Amino acid sequence: MKKQTIALMTAAAMAAGSLAGCGSTGNSGAAPQNTAGSADTTAAGTNAEQAAPGTEAANGNAEGQTITFWHSMGGVNGEAIDYLVNKFNTENTLGIQVEAQYQGSYDDAINKLRSAQIGNMGADLVQIYDIGTRFMIDSGWVIPMQELIDADSWDVGQVEPNIAAYYTVGDKLYSMPFNSSTPILYYNKDMFEKAGITEVPDSLPAIAEAGDALLEKGGAGEVISLAIYGWFFEQFTCKQGQNYVDNGNGREEAATAVDFDQNGAGLKTLTAWKALADAGYAPNVGRGGDAGLADFSSGKSAMTLGSTASLKQILNDVNGKFEVGTAYFPKVSPDDKGGVSIGGGSLWALNNENPDKEKAVWEFVKFLVSAESQAYWNAQTGYFPVTTAAHEEPVFKENIEKYPQFMTAIDQLHDSTPESAGALLSVCPEARQIVETEIENMLNGGQTPEDSVKKIAESINRSIEDYNLLNE
Amino acid sequence: MMQSPKSHKTQEKGLLSSCLKKAGPYAYVVPAMTIFAVFLFYPFFKTIYLSLFKTNKMGEAKLFYGLGNYKDLLTSQSFYNSLAVTFFFVVIVVAGSMFIGLLAAVLCNRAFPGIRIFSTCYALPMAIASSSAAMIFKIMLHPSIGIVNKLLGLNINWISDPKYALVCVALLTAWLNSGINFLYFSAGLSNIDESIYERASVDGANGWQKFWSLTLPGLSPIMFYTLVVNIIQAFQAFGQVKVLTQGGPGESTNLIVYSIYRDAFFNYRFGSAAAQSVLLFAMIMALTLVMFRIEKKGVSY
Repeated sequence: MKKQTIALMTAAAMAAGSLAGCGSTGNSGAAPQNTAGSADTTAAGTNAEQAAPGTEAANGNAEGQTITFWHSMGGVNGEAIDYLVNKFNTENTLGIQVEAQYQGSYDDAINKLRSAQIGNMGADLVQIYDIGTRFMIDSGWVIPMQELIDADSWDVGQVEPNIAAYYTVGDKLYSMPFNSSTPILYYNKDMFEKAGITEVPDSLPAIAEAGDALLEKGGAGEVISLAIYGWFFEQFTCKQGQNYVDNGNGREEAATAVDFDQNGAGLKTLTAWKALADAGYAPNVGRGGDAGLADFSSGKSAMTLGSTASLKQILNDVNGKFEVGTAYFPKVSPDDKGGVSIGGGSLWALNNENPDKEKAVWEFVKFLVSAESQAYWNAQTGYFPVTTAAHEEPVFKENIEKYPQFMTAIDQLHDSTPESAGALLSVCPEARQIVETEIENMLNGGQTPEDSVKKIAESINRSIEDYNLLNE
Repeated sequence: MMQSPKSHKTQEKGLLSSCLKKAGPYAYVVPAMTIFAVFLFYPFFKTIYLSLFKTNKMGEAKLFYGLGNYKDLLTSQSFYNSLAVTFFFVVIVVAGSMFIGLLAAVLCNRAFPGIRIFSTCYALPMAIASSSAAMIFKIMLHPSIGIVNKLLGLNINWISDPKYALVCVALLTAWLNSGINFLYFSAGLSNIDESIYERASVDGANGWQKFWSLTLPGLSPIMFYTLVVNIIQAFQAFGQVKVLTQGGPGESTNLIVYSIYRDAFFNYRFGSAAAQSVLLFAMIMALTLVMFRIEKKGVSY
């Protein structure tokens, strides 16, 4: 009997373990400190503006500082980051040391940051994905990059205007763009040649038209490996020149509801998507940004959609088996006039109430977006250079000559307008999951596009409402 | 409970010493209780507390919601789907992992050359982290470049098709869990007295009869323990889902633990996640109690 009681207690303890995992994160109590912190920043910012121009303007002394930099770049891209950080550490004359720490995926990084900020032991500079922008602005943990820029009288015009537009809210550049990408269409030039198609499709219906020729004459196993990815849905909305959420795409004020169900953009996108799938041209290849790439690189699909940041990886994987072509991200209907918005990450300076470190952070940021660094970064990764001056660098020119495909993304961005800057939405990560789930339900379970749009809109609106209620 | 040793003078019955004597046992429990309190009891009660609130993006309780989180869950289709998915998942995983473990243990329960190699192979899944195994499976199951389709000559989209996704994740988990089961069962088998098999042989029992009437009853205590641990473990599977399917396609692999993760760390709804944790706790607790009832009937020590 006694033995059983003990065994029972052990089992109960184990069961309780499953429960314990969750509660521990919900730590509270650091909020007042944060508020005090942000008040401090404003004061520091004002001082700095008055003191400008001048080298010691940011009332801090960067000399000999050690700063921590959190990033989310793994693989080839991570190696490129390490190279840049080492270069900065050995070359900077102020003796600043940067400790770069890989924090896992973008999602992981922002979650770790959240826990770290509660315990007040965060980094000084952190790389956050595009869709974390609203969250970071609302968090009160950051020093807007604009303050550091103004303190140093740095010319913000060096940054590509269409990239800066995404991170600019209320005329303030909140974070420094660093690794920016847009989605593009990758196509197998050999297959297109065999199929006798000279014009690369520029819209979803055009892809369908080219479909039969590619399958029958081009030797393609699949017309397009179109991954189910929330980012693509957002981009299709952008391409139609429509807003994803209200309040000027969440830029005038925090969004209160989605807009793509009202303006019809969502339905058009899903109808065209389903038409491609139903015709057998775009089979379900899975979920997430990389899901369609393997089919393309292995020579199965004739086209795929992917980020420009995948270009280097694709070229490596294909390894000369066929010629890789790149083209603009497709429109939803042939007469759409919109552009694409950027994705990727940007650099956020965290407010640690230490002007010396702020100054050091700024020096490092300046180095990262310098023409030389950006040219190197572009050539290594496929993210495009965020500073226009990088186009003049020999590294950049050599790379473009060798791989002209890198140019597509840059042209596409230049052809876009700041109006297509894309939506800012606090619950964007969740919104993407909802979109992906419902598209899956549509492709697998025969849910109509109308129902899908309705369900997506309802779920996202409920999250937005909750978020706005709880976070003011 | 343990009694403190009676080394000091027993004639002296001062108030102080009798107090110390009584406090003694508790002092021994303090270190263990502290660890439990910090890592189990505090999070446990905090979770229950949080489940009554709506939380802001920092996970701070912001708005008292009473039983609203529970009500929302119990009227949500998605939650019932998670429960159903979890149920099927647990059944497949537990049955699969115990079957593989038992089979391997019985096969390795005799001496022959190379036995160590086989034993190591069967125990190996225990040493593999679930997420790295999932990464490898993801490549193996890939529809166009994966080896599974190549070998079977099929063209099935294993993890993007709702018909197969759950089974794939469950079988992967079953294989991962089978390693530790193999060890348990091997230990259990070596505890069974060899002489009863000899006696059975003399009586003319065949291999199947011996397995059914001797091996299985002999294993029943360890079998019961393994079952309880396996069920709890299966409920907590997470890494595989995160890497392989992220709960999809649709919500076909949205296990309750993954759903908790997603609500807490992705959607910042700690309240709802906490409520799901509490319900999961209640379910595992109830299940464990039921199993201990059954134990009294089926297990012979």
